Amino acid sequence: MMTPERFAHLAEAYGADLRRWPTAEQPEAHALLRSGDATALDALQQARQLDSLLDSHQLAPLDLDLARRIRLSAPVARPASFWTRYAGWLSPAGVIGVGIAGVAVGMLVASLSLPAPRLIPDVLPSVFDQGDAEIVFTVNAEEAEQ
Amino acid sequence: MKETDPDVELLARIGHQDPAAVNEMVSRKLPRLLALAGRILGDADEARDVAQETFLRIWRQAANWRSGEARFDTWMHRVALNLCRDHLRRRKERPLNENEDINEVVDSTPAPDEQLEAAARSEQMAAALASLPDRQREAIVLQYYQELSNIEAAALMNISVEALESLLSRARRNLRSYLAETPGHARPGRET
Repeated sequence: MMTPERFAHLAEAYGADLRRWPTAEQPEAHALLRSGDATALDALQQARQLDSLLDSHQLAPLDLDLARRIRLSAPVARPASFWTRYAGWLSPAGVIGVGIAGVAVGMLVASLSLPAPRLIPDVLPSVFDQGDAEIVFTVNAEEAEQ
Repeated sequence: MKETDPDVELLARIGHQDPAAVNEMVSRKLPRLLALAGRILGDADEARDVAQETFLRIWRQAANWRSGEARFDTWMHRVALNLCRDHLRRRKERPLNENEDINEVVDSTPAPDEQLEAAARSEQMAAALASLPDRQREAIVLQYYQELSNIEAAALMNISVEALESLLSRARRNLRSYLAETPGHARPGRET
């Protein structure tokens, strides 16, 4: 059971609002107040006066610039920029890959733009050239014999 | 049943770099941090420094936050309180400068008569808070202004609940005595 002295001690520590008191002691404190105990009522009145003075301490309005700076200090996900999206291309492997692709394309373009070499009919074999056919047949015949 | 931590879901979103969660965390906690540091330090600039540094630590911690170990709000108070203690320690180590500019934490915007009166009461209360020994001021700020439970406030100060009650009682007696006798200004950590 809560004594008037314990009530006064708690009021002196926690103030007049019983919701700020230790949870376990609140029901008995309320009961003592309901009983009209003079010591308890007086302690509560004194505590209420100081609470009122404590509540008079006002703080400056919120500094919006500070709030903005703090928000900017947070690591938030931002939409990917062009360079962020293609940053992989700038990696060493990416650079080498792009280089090789460039050389290949260059060679292709160069080969297509050069005039075709003049072909000499005498040098090229002809499908009507019987001499070669004989040789082939001869070779094949020798292999068959073996 | 154990009470759920209302900040855990927000921390998880900050861990995933959600800008909306960052905005909500700043709106939810910045006034609370400024109130804590402003009343402990009695200096608006230093309170802003503490708030900024605390938020940097929040951003770093968000992705790794483990619920169930401590309430986020209590952890945040511990971080800010330690930063405030560092400021007070440095202030005591610095030589006292008579012309030092004190950046008032209270609202200084021009106001009608009744508001001027309220501002005067506020300044007097700020001076009374500043006149308290550091531990008494911590106790009253954590328990009364920040509305932490006695268990949380005692844990933050590394003392028992009984020791907290003793500090609170002495703080309130000293405040009452200061307000009854001494008009004027004082600054935390500058007891002469």
